[in-house]
Amino acid sequence: MKKYWIIARGIMEETMTYRLSFIMWRFRGVLQFLVLYYLWLALLPGNQTLFGYSQSRILTYVFASTLMSAIIFSTRVAELGETINKGDLSNDLLRPANYLLMWAARDVGDKLMNIMFSIGEFTILFIILRPPFFFQSNPFFLAATVITIAIATILFFFINMLLGCIGFWSNETWAPRFIFTILLQFFSGGLFPLDILPKPLFAFFSATPFPYLLYIPLKIYLGQLSFFEIGKSFFIASAWMIGVYLLLKIVWNKGMKLYTAQGR
Amino acid sequence: MKEITRYAKIWWILTIGTTQIAFASRFGAAIFMIGKLLRFAFFLLFLVVLISKTHSLASYSFWQVIFFYATFNLVDTLPQFFLRDVYRFRYQVVSGYFDYILTKPFSPLFKALFGGCDVLDFSMLLVSAGFIGIAGSHIGVVTIGNAALYILLIVNAFLIALAFHVVVLSMGILTTEVDNTIMLYRDMTQIGRFPIEIYKEPLRGLLTFIIPVGIMMAFPAKAMLGLLSVQLIILSFVVGFLLLFGSYLFWQYSLRHYSSASS
Amino acid sequence: MPAITVSHLSKYYKIYQKEPGMLGSLKSLFNRKYQTSKAVDDISFSIEEGELIGFIGPNGAGKTTTLKCLSGLLYPTYGEVSVLGFTPHKRKHAYLKQIALVMGQKNQLWWDLPAMDSFLLNKEIYQIQDKQFKKTLDELSYLLAVKEFLHVQVRKLSLGQRMKCELIAALIHSPKVLFLDEPTIGLDVVMQQNLREFIKEYNQKFNATILLTSHYMEDVKQLCERVIIIDHGKILFDGKLADIVKEYAGHKLLTASFEKKIDKESLRAFGKIEEYEPLRVVLSIPRDKSSDIAAKLLDKFPVEDLNIEEPKIEDIIRDVFQKNKL
Repeated sequence: MKKYWIIARGIMEETMTYRLSFIMWRFRGVLQFLVLYYLWLALLPGNQTLFGYSQSRILTYVFASTLMSAIIFSTRVAELGETINKGDLSNDLLRPANYLLMWAARDVGDKLMNIMFSIGEFTILFIILRPPFFFQSNPFFLAATVITIAIATILFFFINMLLGCIGFWSNETWAPRFIFTILLQFFSGGLFPLDILPKPLFAFFSATPFPYLLYIPLKIYLGQLSFFEIGKSFFIASAWMIGVYLLLKIVWNKGMKLYTAQGR
Repeated sequence: MKEITRYAKIWWILTIGTTQIAFASRFGAAIFMIGKLLRFAFFLLFLVVLISKTHSLASYSFWQVIFFYATFNLVDTLPQFFLRDVYRFRYQVVSGYFDYILTKPFSPLFKALFGGCDVLDFSMLLVSAGFIGIAGSHIGVVTIGNAALYILLIVNAFLIALAFHVVVLSMGILTTEVDNTIMLYRDMTQIGRFPIEIYKEPLRGLLTFIIPVGIMMAFPAKAMLGLLSVQLIILSFVVGFLLLFGSYLFWQYSLRHYSSASS
Repeated sequence: MPAITVSHLSKYYKIYQKEPGMLGSLKSLFNRKYQTSKAVDDISFSIEEGELIGFIGPNGAGKTTTLKCLSGLLYPTYGEVSVLGFTPHKRKHAYLKQIALVMGQKNQLWWDLPAMDSFLLNKEIYQIQDKQFKKTLDELSYLLAVKEFLHVQVRKLSLGQRMKCELIAALIHSPKVLFLDEPTIGLDVVMQQNLREFIKEYNQKFNATILLTSHYMEDVKQLCERVIIIDHGKILFDGKLADIVKEYAGHKLLTASFEKKIDKESLRAFGKIEEYEPLRVVLSIPRDKSSDIAAKLLDKFPVEDLNIEEPKIEDIIRDVFQKNKL
């Protein structure tokens, strides 16, 4: 177990090595949050509601989504494709550690960095901006939020690994990843709550895993989903998680056969 | 004049070279372009959904808001075509290639900015221009004067973008940190997707003049709609000139402190 | 008027230190300790047109930094540099058109295109006339034997072929001064020899002033009459290669082979034993006593063959660096 912690710690140290890069990275995150925050503040001034959201609800949505993103979306797995392309995979596989867990450990390191600093920034911004934040008090909803965040984190991890596997077949892993990032930006609910979309569109994207990565945990936190809907979400999100994992296993084995056949 | 022809010729050779290289991975390039079109379409969808409910945004009508977005898109796409090589700069500094650039009788700044244009990106530029045409045709009567002003202010916006990219390059020389800085520029300009007026003061002032997103994105569109005062027009060009000049001074400074990649 | 004049050149860098571990990383975000590293420290020399000079020194000695100051890449911290009458760091186009920099293992050619495309780019940049371009290209590709490779993607060429094309790209504008930074590094022995011959020929044919840095003594031995030894940013020696031996090596190597076995003890009196076999010995003997000792050996022992040599330059220089570390 200790070796995985060392891997995670290595990622954390690496992040802080380049001081300017680190500061820029955090600054960008804060900036992106502020842009979104002020946008929704401008769209929903005062006591009106828009698409069923009050100012309090939507600003809570924005704040919470930033914190949750730090947990769910921070990852190093984007480097997997390149690792395979460059042949560094061979080095990694020689190590006496479970390969999947190694990447998970790197992600844990990345997530810890993100969470630590996000909480710090969140607190400072909260004090400065004084948003009308909605604190969820229902323990059931809170528990459900935590569970869906966990499922979302694992699901996202598997999807990323799957995308990285493209590296077995092609040198251009970044292009599909770019499209994935675009889809993620819009349809996981980071920019706007997905239910503002017209019903047919909303139904269409609900058939993809995207909403379950951020939108669903946020809705559960806001207490806007019924018990039945929460149960349904658990089920679908878990199904995606297991499904992607099984697909990952198949694709990985196929990819490894090809990789070793090329004599690397 | 002779110098300009020479630089134009060299730019053309560099562009053809870059395009040929990019063509080899045209599959990836095509997917990349589809991604950019999707990004554009999705945000448009968001805008449409919003305005359909609110019916106007900061007192601008539906097509006016779309026109603002189209203008943003053009100002965003112009540097992505012309200044592509800035995205490759970090690699050039770290690998020592930049040293070679510095020893040639050719402006290293020109090479670092304009030396990597890919003709395939040009198609995105055409799409952006096309979209402006569509949105522009729905915003009512447009005088030739306003249209001319619009084009001039777009050029000015490009010059401001150029100034930012020069700063990014200079920082890259001093710190080899390029990628985050350039993405920071993109983050800031994203603000221009919405008309600046939706924000209240003092934020609006900050966004218009300090981070001059307003001058870059909103002012051209406002000029087209005949809503920009003469003072602000003049101010825009002054800001553009000052930023460009200042960034060039910074570039000179950074070259003096260049430490070169180690062997 | 010398082609190159360097006067009290110094180049200092700031490097920062980081403590190991997580705490060290966190600390380094807020507070950094800086150290001044003197890459080049008060060096002076001058070079005449047409000379072929070698810079030798261990890693980090300051050779590459010196070259980069001369080619205008770096601004000197102190001192003055003048090449062909220009101040390099001003990077005037008139200056840059007359110099070339080649760095071993670093490419200026477009990786994914044929070398010819890069040559044509340089043709425009250096404003070379069509006729002159063709003439120079033909000459260089003949000397380097690369005519068939010019239209092949650079990425598909072997390291040696690539290096040759890099040289053409660097020389296509017929520069008067050439800065070569470790040009033979990583090449196989045959290719190294090839390149050395080319450099020598280029120097003789075009009277170009060439500054070469290298780790390989062979490069310097074969090409350079004059060497400059640099270590820790300072010049230890500047003069003829042959003179290094005289200045630094107080000894010579005497190799003797015998008809009968001679025991070790009886040889000790004659000099320091470097190698010993019963029928052969290599002695290190003081320079001024070499003929005396040779005569005594011939007198006392049944010598079959006797040979006196200068010590290897590599060994001398290594000793110089070792001593300089202290």
